Amino acid sequence: MASSTSSPNSSKNLNDASGASDTAEKEEKKEDRTFECNICLDTARDAVVSMCGHLFCWPCLHQWLETRPSRQVCPVCKAAISKEKVVPLYGRGSTKQEDPREKVPPRPAGQRTEPENGSSFPGFGFGDTGFHMSFGIGAFPFGFFTSTFNFGDPRPSAAPHGTPQHLEEQYLSKLFLWLAVLFILWLLLA
Amino acid sequence: MAQNVDPYYAQRSDSSKHSDEGRTNPTDNNAVTKRLQKELMTLMMSQERGVSAFPEGENLFRWIGTITGPKETVYETQKYKLYLQFPNSYPYTAPFVKFITPCFHPNIDNNGNICLDILKDKWSALYDVRTILLSIQSLLAEPNIDSPLNALAAELWCKPEEYKKHVTDTYKQV
Repeated sequence: MASSTSSPNSSKNLNDASGASDTAEKEEKKEDRTFECNICLDTARDAVVSMCGHLFCWPCLHQWLETRPSRQVCPVCKAAISKEKVVPLYGRGSTKQEDPREKVPPRPAGQRTEPENGSSFPGFGFGDTGFHMSFGIGAFPFGFFTSTFNFGDPRPSAAPHGTPQHLEEQYLSKLFLWLAVLFILWLLLA
Repeated sequence: MAQNVDPYYAQRSDSSKHSDEGRTNPTDNNAVTKRLQKELMTLMMSQERGVSAFPEGENLFRWIGTITGPKETVYETQKYKLYLQFPNSYPYTAPFVKFITPCFHPNIDNNGNICLDILKDKWSALYDVRTILLSIQSLLAEPNIDSPLNALAAELWCKPEEYKKHVTDTYKQV
């Protein structure tokens, strides 16, 4: 729920706008410098951003990392970087301007996670916050009898079948079920 | 980033540097030319004080740079010419830079070779002619006495009078 995604800066002007009037062109050039590759000093082509936030053409950065395999650092701030840990920038323009003669491996793909589905119970519409309800009986040693209803908070998904963790979870849930049955019986008889 | 290099590390990476350079595939000359043209443009537009550079003749891969001695140092009144040669692998490897004008300095030898970390193992593709020349200019003001190329200069650095005499004598040799 609380995962806040920082919105990336708008990536307009990533591709050269062509065919503008002279004055507009000049202004645009100034703006474009923000999107210049730090290695070839040209507008970044197949742009990637390092984890330290510096912009490069993918071919340029790749070449830089190939040149010195022993010391993989950002040319700008000398932070440690690696090929795997760069974020590609996808602008609106076509990204297929690559020269096939350049044998550069394809730019790493962006990592995409599905947005979390907030309210799975439309009836409990408490805005964006999840609905929490807890119900508990018992003193200290029986603390685990408390049952918890959490709506909105996703539970950790069950472990895959066959793994030791899965077997363990199965065993635990059976154990707790029996304990609960015994406890209720004890309550009724006492 | 710290500019002071751990001498052990510096030496080690120095020795590995040669193999690194040998491995570099020659990149497209077009890209190098393009970048050098860009650098020339920005240098001419910026009109940086104290440093200037221009290609030597038609060849864009050989430049002549000029730096004026930094203010309030013994080099203050002097102008030094430098020779810069760019490899085909520029900017992935550093250009070769040396002094043309003789210069008396702990990190510059009699042939004008310069000992400067950013021209060796600390090179970054971001550096350009302008930053190289500015770095050399500040090297004049702040030598690294610990790894001298010119032992006499390193020794005399703490004796300003004698040091200055040597600086002017060496400069006059032109």
